[in-house]
Amino acid sequence: MTGYRTHISIIADILDTAREYSYEGHDRGATVTHLIRRANVPHGRLSSLVSELKASGLLQELPEESKYRISEKGMEFLKSYQQFKGFAEGFGLRV
Amino acid sequence: MEIELATNLAGLAISIIIGRFAYAGYAAVGSPNLLRLTLAFISISAGFVLIATALFAGPAFSGAMNTSGLAAQAVGYFFIAMSHGLKSSSDFVPSRHGAALLLVPLTTAPFIIPGNSIEHLVRSISFILLVYVSIETMASYMQTRKNSTLMIGSGLGTLAAAEIVAWYGFIFPGTFAIPALAAKVAGFGLMFVPFSRLGLGRMEKVDGV
Repeated sequence: MTGYRTHISIIADILDTAREYSYEGHDRGATVTHLIRRANVPHGRLSSLVSELKASGLLQELPEESKYRISEKGMEFLKSYQQFKGFAEGFGLRV
Repeated sequence: MEIELATNLAGLAISIIIGRFAYAGYAAVGSPNLLRLTLAFISISAGFVLIATALFAGPAFSGAMNTSGLAAQAVGYFFIAMSHGLKSSSDFVPSRHGAALLLVPLTTAPFIIPGNSIEHLVRSISFILLVYVSIETMASYMQTRKNSTLMIGSGLGTLAAAEIVAWYGFIFPGTFAIPALAAKVAGFGLMFVPFSRLGLGRMEKVDGV
């Protein structure tokens, strides 16, 4: 589905990017540039979203390099998101 | 009476399962749309409970309880319509004026709502809301081509047909009561089919967002 993106779907895009750079041969984590490119949001908004995700334990910041990795809790969130995205889309809605 | 009770209980069971799944989704990802679906199916379940209870109530309370149950279900359909209205408003018009679109389904109401009974009126509102929701769901199906959307859209359309059949029963009282109830449960059954593929067992909660 195209058009308006919800807050939850932007968060899912950020976490999915962090997941790709955490587990699929790029184990050094995703940079802010990677996250901005994929989430397609301005830097200011991304910063507040990343702070929110770090505070809730879904995203981890690597101390020296300013890179981000998805946490186990973030992986659970992504799994749930995919499952309930299908449910909401069944009703013609977005998560 | 046994058939009516059985079909109402079947509808109750299906709507509780869908509502439970929607709540699990809201608890896991915090989506407002899933909260609205939860509220919708809580209202629909409460409606089934009231309608089933009305079968055992005395003649003095039976009509009032039945109408209350139908009204509770109309509230449930309104929550689903509201989610579609908000989605359309965010897609097609500036969000500041978008809330007005929520009233669009009700603009047709004066043309088909009769004024001689509360039950007529409630059924008419339910019919309008269900037609709107099924059209929106089918429009989504045209974009996504997902089978689950087709099943749920068909289910909502069947519920709308059930309402119009039940409404027509007021003209020939008693004739269409069972077919209308059967169509209603068939509608919920169609909506339930996609859930068998989604895996109802996995309902973990993830706190934080």
